[in-house]
Amino acid sequence: MSAIAQIFTNPELYAATISMATPLALPAIGGTFSERTGVVNIAMEGNMLIGAFFAVMVAAATQQAWLGLLAGMLAGGILSLGLAFTAIRLQSDQVIVGMALNLFASGLTAFLLNTVYGYNGTPTNTPFLPSITIPFVSSIPFIGPIIGHHDVVVYLMLLIVAGSQYVLFHTKLGLRMRAVGENPEAADTVGIHVARMRYLGVFIGGMLSGLGGVYLSIGLLNAFDVNMTNGRGYIALAAMIFGKWTPLGSFGAALLFGFATALSIALQNVGISANLVSMLPYALTIIALTGLVGRSRAPAADGIPYAPSK
Amino acid sequence: MNRTFARSATGLVALSLLLAGCGTQNTTTAPATNTPTTPSNASFKVGLVTDVGGLNDHSFNHLAYVGLQAAEAKYGISGSVVQSHQTSDYLTNLTNFAQAGDKLVIAVGYLMNSAVQTVSKKFPKTKFLIIDDAITNRPNVASALFNTQECGYLVGVMAGLMEKQKGIAQINNKNTVGTIGGMQIPPVESYMAGFVAGVKKVDPTANVLVGWANSFTDPASGEAIANQQISNGADIVFPVAGATGNGAITAAKQHNVFAIGVDANQNYLAPQTVMTSALKAVDVATETVIGQALHNQFKSGIVTFDLKNKGVGYAPPIKAVPASIVAQVNHYATLIESGKITPPSTLS
Repeated sequence: MSAIAQIFTNPELYAATISMATPLALPAIGGTFSERTGVVNIAMEGNMLIGAFFAVMVAAATQQAWLGLLAGMLAGGILSLGLAFTAIRLQSDQVIVGMALNLFASGLTAFLLNTVYGYNGTPTNTPFLPSITIPFVSSIPFIGPIIGHHDVVVYLMLLIVAGSQYVLFHTKLGLRMRAVGENPEAADTVGIHVARMRYLGVFIGGMLSGLGGVYLSIGLLNAFDVNMTNGRGYIALAAMIFGKWTPLGSFGAALLFGFATALSIALQNVGISANLVSMLPYALTIIALTGLVGRSRAPAADGIPYAPSK
Repeated sequence: MNRTFARSATGLVALSLLLAGCGTQNTTTAPATNTPTTPSNASFKVGLVTDVGGLNDHSFNHLAYVGLQAAEAKYGISGSVVQSHQTSDYLTNLTNFAQAGDKLVIAVGYLMNSAVQTVSKKFPKTKFLIIDDAITNRPNVASALFNTQECGYLVGVMAGLMEKQKGIAQINNKNTVGTIGGMQIPPVESYMAGFVAGVKKVDPTANVLVGWANSFTDPASGEAIANQQISNGADIVFPVAGATGNGAITAAKQHNVFAIGVDANQNYLAPQTVMTSALKAVDVATETVIGQALHNQFKSGIVTFDLKNKGVGYAPPIKAVPASIVAQVNHYATLIESGKITPPSTLS
């Protein structure tokens, strides 16, 4: 029993929770922006991979980690414009396009990795984003090791959670974005440019997912490996739904999944089967999706292309 | 209008599948080296099929490719390589090389057992080499097995002695080390079992933490597992997990503790951190069997690579490891070679 107690009193469990929640919360909020404006987005995995790769590539070439961060976000945003264009202009099936983008990103990054860097992988001198130690907070017992020292992207993520919640639900822009996601006809009637709002939503979403990838490649590490996102974009999709299409909710869900991951790692030390505990995050996802946590309703016009009548 | 959308969506799917194919099944025919000193055996074709880990795994697929390149340079044979994208590709990729008239087809990895069984039966005149798995009932299949528990044991001995050594800044007083496996399969477990036994041999009271990532391609989770072990006092971590392990090495570097590389000499990943690496000479094995096949000396059945024939070993340790410890590790190496110690290949 004391072994179990020791797991829960080890601050590393909670620090790992936050660290593992970050690459889920960012794409989940990204997806929220896209879907709130009415474009179904399952391409977060692809956006993350593209973001992760171009972050390393630019960081290695310029020796500037911050330029890598910008490049990764932009790459994610640009890839998502592919989704935006086909969804908004061509009115294609958004789920199919999203899946296609994921396959495209996986193939493209593997191809580029081998073509640009050969089989030895990305340069080992690639710079990475700094970790931040918050003065005073980091010296508080127990709390300090949990929130006082993290990669800079973790703190960026916290700012993004608060900022997105504010923008989406407390500003005119947010109201307009949500309006085109709920009832594009009505929004169009009052003079809101539906397509423009949707492009914006999808682009912001792509950049945030890209940042999630940046965190994996030059936040936690300083390297890119093939398919290194390891399905996190799909877990983020679940977190977005679990969080009822809100940034705060997505963050909460990401924390829960992050906690499940961190716990599954910690439990291995007390001799509980690794195969069993590593199911935890996925089992939680299924529970979340079967609606046991309350009804989760998508924006009314989510996934429906808008064709203005002439 | 509707037809246009459908067509564009289909087009995009087709394009991405095409590109996905480019990335992961990138067939490269490496040109035979035609220097005057090299004998020309360009008609002797050798095909190499990687498992899903791919050529950039920093590990055994990569080493097999290095061995193929070495054989090209040495014997002037013509080699080509194809990467498997998913498990269902194994059969197709092996068959393609056999059909194309390759004299020797190399299957890299334990996961290709049944595919090699099938294809070797269908093409009895083609020779096959499978790495990391035993196939003994085919006259045309050689199996290269590595006693990685032996090199795991030696780096374990080194880790245990480091734990007891006073005055090394990176070593704390918690007497704890950690090892992280990608998946619980024999070629991974044997390394870890040897490591645990080696640590306990010289430091019986040591606490050895064992973690599993359940993925060879998730460096972020490798980092999280290593962080967890380090927070529990581990000051030497030994990942056996492909790309996942790179995350563990990063974690060790960030916390200023030691890591031990695996398969290849991984010191270049973090020169002050990776104190040594447990080596598995897949490149030597590949090159050796190619040479045997070329000179009609191909032997079917199991070829074991161990400490004695230098098929496994450990990379030169960094300066932080005292010479007295290296001497003791070398002593244990002679004990294994002479059969006085037999390290276990499974975790108890």
